[in-house]
Amino acid sequence: MSVSVTFLRPFARVLVPFTLHRKRRVLYSTTLQRYTSSKIPAVSYPNKESTSPPEELELDRWKITMKSSVQEEGVSTVSSSKDEDTLAATRELIEMWRLLRREVPEHISEEELKTVMECVSKSSKRKYLKYLYIKEKMKKSKQIKKEMKIAAKEQVKKDQLPETTKEDKQQNFLFLRLWDRNMDIAMGWKGAQAMQFGQPLVFDMAYDDYMKPKELQNAVSQLLESEGWNRRNVDPFHIHFCSLKTGGAYYRELVKRYGEKWNKLLLTATEKSHVDLFPKDSIIYLTSDSPNVMTTFKHDKIYVVGSFVDKNMQPGTSLAKAKRLKLATECLPLDKYLQWDTGTKNLTLDQMIRILLCLKNTGSWEEALKFVPRRKHTGYLDISQHSQEFFNRVKSKTFNSFPRGSVDIHRKGNLNENI
Amino acid sequence: MTFYFTGIRSFPKLWKSNPYLGLGPGHSSLSVFLKDCYGIKNQEKWFSLKTVCPQNTKAMNLLVAKARYVRKKDEGSSKQVSADSHMFAAGAAKKRSQMNPLSKEHVLPPVKNIFQLPTKPLNSEEWDKLKEDFKEKANFENWIISQMIKCHSSVDVAKSVLAWVAAKNNGIVGYDLLVKYLYLCVFHKQTSEIIDVYEIMKARYKRLESGAYTLLIRGLIHTDRWREALLLLEDIKKVMIPSKKNYNDCIQGALFHQDVNVAWNLYQELLGHDIVPMLETLKAFFDFGKDMKGDQYSNKLQDILLYLRNNQLYPGESFAHSIKTWFESVPGEHWKGQFTTIQQSGQCLGCGKTVESIHLSSEEYEFLKEKIMRDVIDGGDQYKKTTPQELKRFQNFVKYHPPFDIVIDGLNVAKMFPKARESQVLLDVVSQLAKQNLQVLVLGRKHMLKQNSRWRKDDMEKVQKQASFFFADNISEDDPFLLYATLHSGNHCKFITKDLMRDHKACLPDAKTQRLFFKWQQGHQLAIVSKHPGSKVTFQHILIYDTVVQTTGDSWHIPYDDDVVERYSYEVPTKWLCLHRKT
Repeated sequence: MSVSVTFLRPFARVLVPFTLHRKRRVLYSTTLQRYTSSKIPAVSYPNKESTSPPEELELDRWKITMKSSVQEEGVSTVSSSKDEDTLAATRELIEMWRLLRREVPEHISEEELKTVMECVSKSSKRKYLKYLYIKEKMKKSKQIKKEMKIAAKEQVKKDQLPETTKEDKQQNFLFLRLWDRNMDIAMGWKGAQAMQFGQPLVFDMAYDDYMKPKELQNAVSQLLESEGWNRRNVDPFHIHFCSLKTGGAYYRELVKRYGEKWNKLLLTATEKSHVDLFPKDSIIYLTSDSPNVMTTFKHDKIYVVGSFVDKNMQPGTSLAKAKRLKLATECLPLDKYLQWDTGTKNLTLDQMIRILLCLKNTGSWEEALKFVPRRKHTGYLDISQHSQEFFNRVKSKTFNSFPRGSVDIHRKGNLNENI
Repeated sequence: MTFYFTGIRSFPKLWKSNPYLGLGPGHSSLSVFLKDCYGIKNQEKWFSLKTVCPQNTKAMNLLVAKARYVRKKDEGSSKQVSADSHMFAAGAAKKRSQMNPLSKEHVLPPVKNIFQLPTKPLNSEEWDKLKEDFKEKANFENWIISQMIKCHSSVDVAKSVLAWVAAKNNGIVGYDLLVKYLYLCVFHKQTSEIIDVYEIMKARYKRLESGAYTLLIRGLIHTDRWREALLLLEDIKKVMIPSKKNYNDCIQGALFHQDVNVAWNLYQELLGHDIVPMLETLKAFFDFGKDMKGDQYSNKLQDILLYLRNNQLYPGESFAHSIKTWFESVPGEHWKGQFTTIQQSGQCLGCGKTVESIHLSSEEYEFLKEKIMRDVIDGGDQYKKTTPQELKRFQNFVKYHPPFDIVIDGLNVAKMFPKARESQVLLDVVSQLAKQNLQVLVLGRKHMLKQNSRWRKDDMEKVQKQASFFFADNISEDDPFLLYATLHSGNHCKFITKDLMRDHKACLPDAKTQRLFFKWQQGHQLAIVSKHPGSKVTFQHILIYDTVVQTTGDSWHIPYDDDVVERYSYEVPTKWLCLHRKT
């Protein structure tokens, strides 16, 4: 194979000058060829051997047009400083990657470009660019959907216009259409009641040092959503944001996201820790690393949820926190009720609050664990059989195993002190 | 045997010599490189393509034959390994996993569609017709050229695609097609085509991206215009640190054109970026060194060997051959090299000399002890793995006990046989060790003391009579205590567990400390090899020598990786190159 190619090469070199001053002719023939696709193009080179098929001749022709466009595109920008030079180079690199259909954004702002350059490694660059690419794509598709909606609305209006003008008669209504506002006010009343008499639910905000900016943003999004779920519930919790440092990263992000509403929120945000606000023995710290499984929802306890998004694999952080303060810990009985499949047992904050709200109102684990994402488990375990088994085990050991487990939690602190 | 080696050896000279022989290694490295460069992985994978290109079938046959050969050799060697292998010997993990009956062979995905790739250049109408037949969603031109890359079609066929695209498109070919075409040219080593594409790219685009630069560098280094590859490397540096492959190509190019200074400068630059060089790069220096006479060059090569030593890198088989050849070619010094193994006693089978001991020096030992305490047990938050009270209790415990000879990971040992009772297994092991008058420490968790069907109280009482014990809280980790207790007892103390301790090694802050830990672990970890409960407990032998590149001035001992044995990162090679000077 290679022999034939090296054989061809000298021809191409000879041909280059020959075809160059006939550039127009070549261009003409390509356009011609597009229209008369049934025929082999008319340009033929006389000094070609008859053994090779005629179409092999034009294999190199595209190179000429490609090379000839030097003057058109060879616009060089004068770069003033080295820093700007790298900035431009990065921009061009991204542009070239886009030509290769890599996952990079089409438009990139100066700030984002600087972030790209600050990324320490190649993979972090690639990751950030992919993030921008997906963001851009989502934005674009949203924009398109929005336009389509507007167009559809206009269409409907146009169609209905003649009809509405016809039947313009008075109708009798009981209410004005002010539903949203009424809803808001009603939720406000309920929230105020919860502030007075509701069961406290604590979000421990002392994790801002463990999180990167991205994780912190996710955590704040989840907090926002949790608060929304709580507000809409029949019997809301009285939410506490504990250990929230004024001026800290968490605080700034929350204020930024809530805007003016931050000061009107019906929840308690405090710099104090939950151990200062509540008696220690009524606090239960919820963490998936806990060895103790939650059996029932207790209405006289204060549950603490760590507002911590951990993408960085720091297992046992919240358990260590609870251990330090000698608090009781519990985890959800996920394995008892669900056939776990994939994913971590850490749930998001909004899933957590929905489960807790459901437990508070109904007390049924099956209902509450519906909020666990379906992708993480394959289905519910046969509870009746399980509880039967559990019951038998308890019976056979008389009152040995059950009370000891629960005593253990409270006695852990004492044990340590004795040593 | 000889055939096999010649196959390997001819790889660097691929450019000049018969391309078929070396296709194995060259082919694999290139295709891997391609995959992550151009996202061809994303393309439809389910197409199986048939090429009738004679060159490819020939290469495939050769590959198949070679694979068969390799497998045969592998079977032979695995028997040998089982006879005397330690836990960290190369290939041991692979063998352990093969003992697991659940692991299955890969099943190839079913063939969904067969698309006949053209084997000779087509003209425009033929391409048009092919495009009509193609019903997938993807862009046809892109897809077809990606498939050509997969099957390594000849350059001419790809060129005809480009010509067809250009004809449709006013003589303009897209950048992505051009890069893929360039890949094919580089793969088939069509120098003049590479230069043509290079000219086109220079003309059309002010700057390229890393993938095209990499390909151009790889293509240009074998031409007379190899110095332009260095300019391209400079271009890459403007936006990012070049990859080790880029440096490798440039260094190879410089050596190929006898420019030693450029090569060494690039090597220094590479090390300056904290990149671990490819072994091929280092090998190239040795290969080139055969024709170089001079102290300066040979000193630099010895520096490379020391670099291997300090970073615990091991040359591959062909690299070991290069090293051997270079040493033997040094005039006036009469080096003699041979491939051997090291006996359990730490003596080299070739020359009888004892290789370096595995034991850490006292400073290293203290350093490691402190690091384990600080980073593995404490780790910035004592509550994560234990509690301060427990830590205090443990430290007092260790302080007021005489040094131990053996520290046992109670839970790991007890759970060795799933069918036997845990406490019974533990008792067996402990009493056997106690009979040898060894001071034994058993580490466990408190729940082991609770009476139940798996943990019998009377067994545990017997254990406690024969050994010291420390029970950590149920939610504390016991492994860090194990490590510390062993380190605290001194150099003679060993520990028993099957755990490879990789998670604890990962807690250590830097690669140097991790290597130190690994060295200590190799010398102090006992793993139980008994297959049945109740039988006499036997341990895997402990290495008493260190597997690392080492020298005594007039001898070198260099461990190397066998090409046919897959070695995991926590294993060490078993084969050695022994070099000594005849006096």
